[in-house]
Amino acid sequence: MDTSGVGFDYAGLRGRWPVPAGRVSLRRCSTRVSLEGVNRPVIDRIIRVDHAGEYGANRIYAGQMAVLGRSSVGPVIQQMWNQEKDHLKKFNELMVAYRVRPTVLLPFWNVAGFVLGAGSALLGKKGAMACTVAVEESISDHYNSQIRTLVEEDPEKYKELLQVIKQFRDDEREHHDIGLEHDAEAAPAYSVLKTAIQLGCKAAIFLSERI
Amino acid sequence: MGSGPRPGSEQTLGWRHLTLFVSRLVVRCQLSPPQRALQVSAVLRRVSDEQKEPFVSSSQQQFDSHPTDHQPEQEPQGPRPSYTGQGGQESEDYESEEQLQHRILTAALEFVPEHGWTAEAIAEGAKTLGLSVAAAGMFHSDGSELILHFVSQCNTKLSELLEQEQKLVQLGEAEKKPTDQFLRDAVQARLRMLIPYIDKWPQALSILLLPHNIPSSLNLLTSMIDDIWHYAGDQSTDFNWYTRRAVLTGVYNTTELVMMQDSSPDFEDTWRFLENRIADAMNMGNTANQVQSTGEAVVQGLMGAAVTIKNLAGLNQRR
Repeated sequence: MDTSGVGFDYAGLRGRWPVPAGRVSLRRCSTRVSLEGVNRPVIDRIIRVDHAGEYGANRIYAGQMAVLGRSSVGPVIQQMWNQEKDHLKKFNELMVAYRVRPTVLLPFWNVAGFVLGAGSALLGKKGAMACTVAVEESISDHYNSQIRTLVEEDPEKYKELLQVIKQFRDDEREHHDIGLEHDAEAAPAYSVLKTAIQLGCKAAIFLSERI
Repeated sequence: MGSGPRPGSEQTLGWRHLTLFVSRLVVRCQLSPPQRALQVSAVLRRVSDEQKEPFVSSSQQQFDSHPTDHQPEQEPQGPRPSYTGQGGQESEDYESEEQLQHRILTAALEFVPEHGWTAEAIAEGAKTLGLSVAAAGMFHSDGSELILHFVSQCNTKLSELLEQEQKLVQLGEAEKKPTDQFLRDAVQARLRMLIPYIDKWPQALSILLLPHNIPSSLNLLTSMIDDIWHYAGDQSTDFNWYTRRAVLTGVYNTTELVMMQDSSPDFEDTWRFLENRIADAMNMGNTANQVQSTGEAVVQGLMGAAVTIKNLAGLNQRR
C-alpha cells in the first residue's frame, strides 16, 4: 500500500519556513491512517480536545466512584465509567495514528476531573447525577459541532473519524439520559451547579484545543 | 500613425518601464509573492544566459553537489503564464518563486565552506545556475534563509532515512533496534550531515538564535525531534509525550555544541558523549518509575499508620 521512495515533494510545501519539514501531509507513514491531504490543523484540534475530554470524563467518573462506589448508584456509574474507558482507548489509538500531540494540561485535567467527580458525589447521588448530566450535555453539543465541521470539510475523507465521533456522541447522550433518569434535576442547586460545570467545560475545551 | 499616442510619450513610457524593472531588480520590493514571482523570475531569465537544463525541483538533489541529475519536474499547481519569446526557448512548466529559491539555495550550499552562510555564497550559487548574481537580493542579507533551507533539507533526509529503516524492519530484513540505540543512531546520522559545514556551523547556530529566526528554527527542531520519536515507536499519549521530546531535544542540542568543539578523529568524543547522554535519558525513565513506586509505598505506609492509630483510639468502631 505504501509506495516506496515517494520522497519529499517541495511543491507540497506552501508558504515559508514556518512549515516544519516533518509535518508535510504528503509523506506516508506506516500508520494505519494515511495522512495524505488531511487538514492537519483541524484534525489536530479535534483529536486533541476529544482525547482531553475523554480523559477528563474518565477522571470524573473515577472521582464519583471513589465516593459513591458502594452506594446504590455505584453499578450505574461503573458502567458509564467503563464506556468512557473504551472511548479513551479509542482516542489514544487515533492520537497515535494521526500523530497528534496531547494537550499540555493533561495533568491538570487529571486532578480537576477527579476533584469535580468526588466533589459532586459528596453532594449526594443526585449531585453526582447532576454533574453527569451537565458534562455529558456539554460533550454531546461539542461532538455535534465537530461532526458539523468534519462534514463541511469532506465527509468521505474523514469517514472513519466521523463514525467514531457519531458513535461516541450517541453514547454520551445515553449517559445524559441515564443521569436525568436518576433524578439529577432534584439535586441541590441544580441550575447553578449545571451552569457552573458547563462553563468549566467550555473553558476546558477552549484551552485543550489550543494548548 | 493616425490617432495614436504621441511618439515622444511612447518613448518616455518605455524608459519608465526599464527603470522600473531595474529598480525592482536592485531593491527587494514589497509586492505580493505571485507578482514577485512573475517579475523576478521573468527578469532573471532575461538577464541570464540561455537556460540549458530543464527546471528541476530541488528536493531530489544531493545537497552537496551541483544539480547534475535532472529529474522530471513535478507538475506544479497554479496558473501558467507564458514566457514565450525568450530567445526561442519556451519554459516547459511554470516554476514558482519558492522552487527557484530552493534551487538557488541548494546550489549555494557548495560555497558555504568558503564564504560562510552569507549572501556571497548565495550569489555564487546563483551563478552556477546561470542566473545573475543579483538573485541573492531575493534573500535576507544575513544568510538566514540559507541556513533554514539547509536545516530543513537535513531534516527531510533524516526522515527519509528513518522511513527506509522502518520499511526494512517491516519487511523482516533488519532487526528492530532497542530504543537507546535507535535514538543514538538517529541523532548521530543527523549530526553527521553537519560535518561538511562544521567550520561555519557556529556562525549558523548564532544566526538561528536571532529573534526573527527563532520561530522557524524552533519549528524545524521540534518537528525533527517528533519525527525521531515517531520512528522510534513512541506511542505515548500522556505527559510523557512532552518529557520524552524535551529530553531528546536537550540531548541533541548539547551533543551539537560538543561537536562544534570536538577535534578528535571522526568526532569519536562526540559520539561517546551522545552515548552517555542517551544512557542518562534512559535511566531517567527508570528513576522516575522508582520515585513513583517509592512515593506509593510511603503513602501506603502512612495510610496503614493512620488506620492503626484509629484502631488504637477506638475511632474505627462501627456505630
